[in-house]
Amino acid sequence: MKQISNMSDLFNRLNDLKFAFKYGQELIPMIQSIIDFVKETVPLLEDINSSIADSTNKIPRVRDQINNISDSTELATTEILDIVDSISNDISNVEEKIKASKESESERQKHWNEIKEILNKSGHTQLIDSYESSDQNSILSSEILNTLGGIKQKVYNITLSLQVQDITSQQLASVNHLIEAVRAKLSSLILLLDDKEISNVESANSEVCESTTFDPNASYSKSPERQELVDDLVKNNLDKTSQEEIDKLFS
Amino acid sequence: MDLKFLVVDDSITMRRIVINSLRNLGYNNFVEAGEGREALEKLSTEAGINFIVTDWNMPEVSGLELVKAVRSDEKFSSIPILMVTTRGVKEDIVVALQAKVNNYIVKPFTPQILKEKIDQILQVS
Repeated sequence: MKQISNMSDLFNRLNDLKFAFKYGQELIPMIQSIIDFVKETVPLLEDINSSIADSTNKIPRVRDQINNISDSTELATTEILDIVDSISNDISNVEEKIKASKESESERQKHWNEIKEILNKSGHTQLIDSYESSDQNSILSSEILNTLGGIKQKVYNITLSLQVQDITSQQLASVNHLIEAVRAKLSSLILLLDDKEISNVESANSEVCESTTFDPNASYSKSPERQELVDDLVKNNLDKTSQEEIDKLFS
Repeated sequence: MDLKFLVVDDSITMRRIVINSLRNLGYNNFVEAGEGREALEKLSTEAGINFIVTDWNMPEVSGLELVKAVRSDEKFSSIPILMVTTRGVKEDIVVALQAKVNNYIVKPFTPQILKEKIDQILQVS
């Protein structure tokens, strides 16, 4: 009886083995396709990794280019300001000369009045009329002064518009800061995918944080709303301060 | 009142624009600094500075730190300070006022606004 039971156990085990082989045979293609998939994925991951590394390595160059743009625009703006200042000085010189000429004109007018009197007495009124109608110096001088005043104001407006340089350089610094943050993220991603570290990440980060100061919300807007908000807050602050001073006096 | 301005900004362009604008308003006495630390040095070494026009965002010592340093120094605490900055967010303005700036201008500024703020400060003080 014991022998029969052993045989039955043996058959059961053989059956189990048979099922195991059967499932194994069915599993083999699945495992094979997983292996194939992984094999195909590895070069893809390597591609992604090298792309990230490549992009990350390019970022310092982008940052340098942005800094160059900022420096170049500052240089160009300084040159424009030099020219604008020179034009303003020239205009001021011309204005002074015209004013001096106008002053000498009043002296000339005195002499003319004396001559006019003599001419009147001698009956040369036609000569007087002819001379006076051709003499436009005084009117012209005033017109030129007005025009020069207008040009001076326009030149000054150019100066004011150059505030855009400071604002855009802050915007560029803000973009640089964002790019550096992306670079740091990409670098940490590379560390996860591969053990390679992108060089100088730490030093690049600290460089940006220490040497750049900017307003991330800087904008070149001529809308009065922002100044109005300031004025309201300043007024409230002044009112509050005055009230506190009054309270202090009476307490 | 004969004013001697200390104009503080890390942007050379902005310093020139502010000084040109002040010159157009009839002022002729200026000292320049590129950031807060230099401004504090100038305050100690240049006699007679009695008005400060400062930016906020600057390397080393910022405009806000400069305001706090000036206000906490007995020798200079009464000097009027006008902040001229791109920062137009309410929270920033409040912080600047708490640090005791006398008035505040958002860039880009106009000469009218600059004149108005300087006149207001001089009237109050």
